[in-house]
Amino acid sequence: MGQIILGVGDYGASNSPADDVKTFALGSCVSVIFLDPKTRTAGMAHVALPDSSINKAKAGEKPGYFADTAIPALLAQMAKFGCDKRGKGMVVKLCGGANVMDSNDTFQIGKRNALAIKKILWSYGMGAVAEDLGKNFSRTVSISVSAGQITLSSPGKPNWQL
Amino acid sequence: MVKQLNQEELQKVVNSVPMLSPSASQLIQITSQADHDLMDVIDLVRTDASLTARVLKIVNSAAFGLINTITSIDRAISYLGERIIVGIAVGDSAGKLFEKELSGYESAGGDLWKHDLRTAIAAREVVTQSGVDISSELAFTAGLLHDIGKSIISDYLHGSVTDAVEMITTDEDLDYLDAEEKLVGFDHTRAGYELARAWKLPEELAEVILHHHEPINAKEEYRALVYAVHLGDNIAMMGGFGTGSDSMRYKLDPEYTHYINIGPKTLASIMLNVDIEFEKLESSFTGSGDEN
Repeated sequence: MGQIILGVGDYGASNSPADDVKTFALGSCVSVIFLDPKTRTAGMAHVALPDSSINKAKAGEKPGYFADTAIPALLAQMAKFGCDKRGKGMVVKLCGGANVMDSNDTFQIGKRNALAIKKILWSYGMGAVAEDLGKNFSRTVSISVSAGQITLSSPGKPNWQL
Repeated sequence: MVKQLNQEELQKVVNSVPMLSPSASQLIQITSQADHDLMDVIDLVRTDASLTARVLKIVNSAAFGLINTITSIDRAISYLGERIIVGIAVGDSAGKLFEKELSGYESAGGDLWKHDLRTAIAAREVVTQSGVDISSELAFTAGLLHDIGKSIISDYLHGSVTDAVEMITTDEDLDYLDAEEKLVGFDHTRAGYELARAWKLPEELAEVILHHHEPINAKEEYRALVYAVHLGDNIAMMGGFGTGSDSMRYKLDPEYTHYINIGPKTLASIMLNVDIEFEKLESSFTGSGDEN
């Protein structure tokens, strides 16, 4: 069984049933998950920040890092596996985007990430069917490609599915 | 089973922690003084042959991508900046403490060092990007040391993670500090403060360690520094580099706005720089002081 481990700003996809696609310790980062039932392909991007305009060079080098560049990059990656280029028919799920308890809004990057991702998804006519976003704990997330099943974990909590 | 500690036992544990090396200790002392000179740092490093060798090895490592090899310690220190020198010395001398597995937080060996390094980088970025008038180099050192208390109480918290998480999930007024205190009698800031005193760290660093989750309680003269580390700590956790079960489970002290001017754009830029800088530094020095 293969494990595709994605770091911050990485994205990847697989259609090999033996694979897991996994990312560790999402804090305010958001994991965007695309499942394509037709080709049985699973993809994920580990998005750190909402907007690539703060550093275009970084966006060129690591498109998965920003919401606005991650989604096109992940779609292009999945198209290599025969998935629809604009994400038609894909199942979208989101998780992560935790926030520290801040009474003014500045530190709510998790919230801003999730919002930016949803906006871009809308522009493709896509929307999440399931999400586990926000709150104040970190999440590790893993997709088993064969079952299309998403498992989340966080220390001190029993694992759960999305 | 979780075991409660009393003051005397805490003191005993603290006293069993090895002292910092003389070079690390003196470097911290010197660089904490507002009016120190880089020459003082250079002179001190020169007296320590193994530290000198490490500094030269790191400055010439692939991470810094220098075209010409640096062979003089003066140039190496000017190039790296004193914060990196302090980082190397602390990592080499207290590596075991920073690298140890924090079983009480279900956090793997090495996580604490990474979290501390991220906090150090973030605290420095907070200072430089917000323009607050404190030493960015000192913010880095303070960030590196802020969580030393975790390695002291972690063994005592062994097996407590589910209880701790449940405690603060059911009562939203509580954060992980409250859970630590209820479970073992002391939280990690208090344990770290005791170690800071045993190590005779300068007062401002001891204040950071004690108050990094509620800077409002720090002495006014050090408060901006404590806030910088407080924000750096939260930025490290937000970026996915916490120490297991407590990650993100603290309150942000809202009064930071009176000391540090940061908006959403600046914060995004800080987070990005932390990722870039961390990648560079992580590969060049490790807490254990092992080969890299």
